Amino acid sequence: MRPRIVFHIFRKDLVETLRDRRTVVMAFVVPALVYPLLFTLLGSVATDKRGELERTRARVAAWGPVPESTLRAVEQQARADVVDRREQPPAEPEAEARRLVTSKKVHLVLLTPAGAPGASIPIRVLADSTNVDSDAMERRVSRALADHDAELLRQRMTALGQDAAAARPLDVREEDLADAARRGASFAAALLPYLLLVLVATSGFYAALDLTAGEKERGTLQTLLTAPVRSVEIVAGKYLAVLALTLAATVCNLGSIALALARGTAAMDAGARFSLGLSSAAAIFLTVLPAALLIVALLMAIGVLARSYREGQSYLMPLLLLVMLAGFASFLPGAELTVGTALVPLLNVTLLVHDILVGKAGPTQVMIVWAVSLAWAVLGILLAARVFQTEQVLLSGEKPWRDIFSPGRRSGRGLTPGNALAFAAVLLVLTFYGSALFERRSGVAGLILGSQLGFFLLPSLLWCRLFRAPLAETLQLRWPTPRGWAATVLLAAGGWSVGAVVWEQLLRFPGARAYSDWLGELLGKQGQLGLGAALLLVAFLPAVAEEVAFRGVVLAGLRRSGSRWIAVVGSALVFGLFHINPYHVLAASVIGLLLGWVALESGSIAPGMLIHLVNNGAQVLLDRMPGLARPLHSPVVAALALATTALGAWLVRGSRRQTPEPAEVAPVPASVPRT
Amino acid sequence: MIEARGVSKRYGEVVAASEVSFTVGRGEVVGLLGPNGAGKTTVLRMLAGVLTPTAGEVRIAGHGTEGEAFELKRALGFLTGDTALYQRLTPREVLRYFGRLHEIPEAALGARVEALVARFRLSEFADRPCGKLSAGQKQRANIARAFVHDPPALILDEPTTALDVVTGRFLLEAFREARAAGKAILFSTHVLGDAEALCDRVILLHRGRVLDQGTVAEICARAGARTLTDAFLARVGDEVAA
Repeated sequence: MRPRIVFHIFRKDLVETLRDRRTVVMAFVVPALVYPLLFTLLGSVATDKRGELERTRARVAAWGPVPESTLRAVEQQARADVVDRREQPPAEPEAEARRLVTSKKVHLVLLTPAGAPGASIPIRVLADSTNVDSDAMERRVSRALADHDAELLRQRMTALGQDAAAARPLDVREEDLADAARRGASFAAALLPYLLLVLVATSGFYAALDLTAGEKERGTLQTLLTAPVRSVEIVAGKYLAVLALTLAATVCNLGSIALALARGTAAMDAGARFSLGLSSAAAIFLTVLPAALLIVALLMAIGVLARSYREGQSYLMPLLLLVMLAGFASFLPGAELTVGTALVPLLNVTLLVHDILVGKAGPTQVMIVWAVSLAWAVLGILLAARVFQTEQVLLSGEKPWRDIFSPGRRSGRGLTPGNALAFAAVLLVLTFYGSALFERRSGVAGLILGSQLGFFLLPSLLWCRLFRAPLAETLQLRWPTPRGWAATVLLAAGGWSVGAVVWEQLLRFPGARAYSDWLGELLGKQGQLGLGAALLLVAFLPAVAEEVAFRGVVLAGLRRSGSRWIAVVGSALVFGLFHINPYHVLAASVIGLLLGWVALESGSIAPGMLIHLVNNGAQVLLDRMPGLARPLHSPVVAALALATTALGAWLVRGSRRQTPEPAEVAPVPASVPRT
Repeated sequence: MIEARGVSKRYGEVVAASEVSFTVGRGEVVGLLGPNGAGKTTVLRMLAGVLTPTAGEVRIAGHGTEGEAFELKRALGFLTGDTALYQRLTPREVLRYFGRLHEIPEAALGARVEALVARFRLSEFADRPCGKLSAGQKQRANIARAFVHDPPALILDEPTTALDVVTGRFLLEAFREARAAGKAILFSTHVLGDAEALCDRVILLHRGRVLDQGTVAEICARAGARTLTDAFLARVGDEVAA
């Protein structure tokens, strides 16, 4: 893929899209106007209604022998007027009360049946909870009745010469712990996630349609296909254009929604206050980003299947409904971000944005949602790329979906950067869903065994087979040179202690200690196992399975990009992402850089396995023998470990066996033929 | 320069092209003639590397589609009724865009675009959105787009259809100039008069198969007809009757 060509396509598509009034209006103008207008209108209606209810006197009917003193108390305390006084209640009081409330003659009826005992007078309050006015007045009158009841009780106790307080063994008072800001955040947390997801989908909707089905309909996609560009460059350029537009619209409208919510919150709930801080806005944007990556990829992949703009609208509507459904979770009171819901794409973003707004979200939750969303987004992007490579799709042929996944499309031998990323995404999804299952059923030993064999080793071998990648070449199953071995021994000896020192430094940052304790507790569970079993599960298995997956399949695929840097950095980032917690992601990515580089330089998977084995094995031993960790704090030991690692890193450079490498990337001539 | 060797294309049971073979040499204009649904567009798309043949091979300037699609597309200027212009870009922007996709150096691109604007007389509307141009203006801009990278081979599918006489004549003159410059041109048209006036050789295509090919005189002689139109009707009519 040539970044310059992708940029030209991106720039052209962005310019063309921004010149389309319909897209600009739907992405920028409509949300910027609709949300503030909607909330201002709703807020104004709510404020007016609340003011009107405050000003209005309650119209009350009193039927039967309701005491006059009670009615006077209601009139005074509840600002009510008794407009319908009947000594005898009607034959069917409920039906008559309903008729009067419906016709707005009264807000409620106080009913005391004839012949009630004198000591305790029953009073029924007949009101309609579905009628806003009747419901509000009922609360006001019931409060007045309760106060009057307490006053009567006090009078009676005094008359009997008793302490009035004795009749109230419990003096219950409700106090709302939520201050105005929390109440405001709670209100906004119900609405904002839904609005954001819908905003992302609708912002990208028209642009994606215009650049896929719209271009097919206008014939310009075929014009582009006659130029020397790869399908993957076309999809990348178009994807980036739609994504840029979507994110720009999201950022612009996040501000207008926040302002609208600030107004709406105060109006809907007197005393509540909402303002979106810069850090929360940034966290929300970062959370919505992978959701946007996924939604835009799906919009593109589905949009290009359509032969016309109109057909595309029908194809994309179910996706829009799905997004709305996922966003709707923020309205459900019981919906919470758990391990289960964190794995469901889009739903997890809704719940995380909710948690960020109410101040519940932690870094681990953010990382899980990010990693899962990113994995789905990568799969979505690869699907879009696949669809764009299908001839029948691009040329508006009949039943194009038949060709998209037809086995005949797999050509060539070996892995590519695209399917290495697809592999990582599949693994990520598999690991998250599978881990939850194993942890619940098999405990920590089952979890490690199941995940290492079932989610790393086996899928790696299957992936190689599926894409006809020769195992020995892909996984670099060859013996290192003596120099490679020497470097490996030095790196294994020094690397783990350098890692331990770096980890110690990371623990100074906020939240890292809590994570380390949790990790320690998890590793502590393996303390129930024998040392041999613990070393097998925590050191040996990950050293083999993770190296095969990351320094084998992922690295091999990314090497086909033609850049060693992309291969090493990409495989390290993917490796890091699997460790979820931001600190662990950082630490694992750094280790991944070293392991990837060693694998490339030594031309073998074995050194990485050994370094990985020693690193994890040392953790197991340190956990069981804390005394061993003490010398690590000595600057001399740390310096020695650093020197050993550096020497190993220097020695491993160019230590691979000098065998001819197969050509990895077909060269692309840069010059234009002239006649 | 342009070669089709036993090229076929099937969509399930439907055969869109069957064992089509021909060549177009340097400085030669060859007409591809056939009624609607004859398979002309399918053949042209396969030659342009947009469609993959089910069987056979295509080559442009010696480059095939298998592993050389880039080189093939770099050597070819392609225009069909399906290759439209971007409605919201101006002709000048379209030319610059395709020039960049063909990796023409930025320093040379400006001069190249201005040369094409002058050659195809686009200056009057070169900065107007393509969506607001007349059919003739669009076609001139589109042909300029096909010439942007100065390809040695050109495939033009009905380039003069629906154009007024003046524009049609202007384009035919431009194709003659291109032939004189040594370019190979495969030219499909419904206007048999244009084919007679411009083409060195013609290929008659019907139901995805080549019925006949040769100079206009040879085809007329074989069909026992005086004009290309009569020869075309005789051959296609025979096929329909068969």
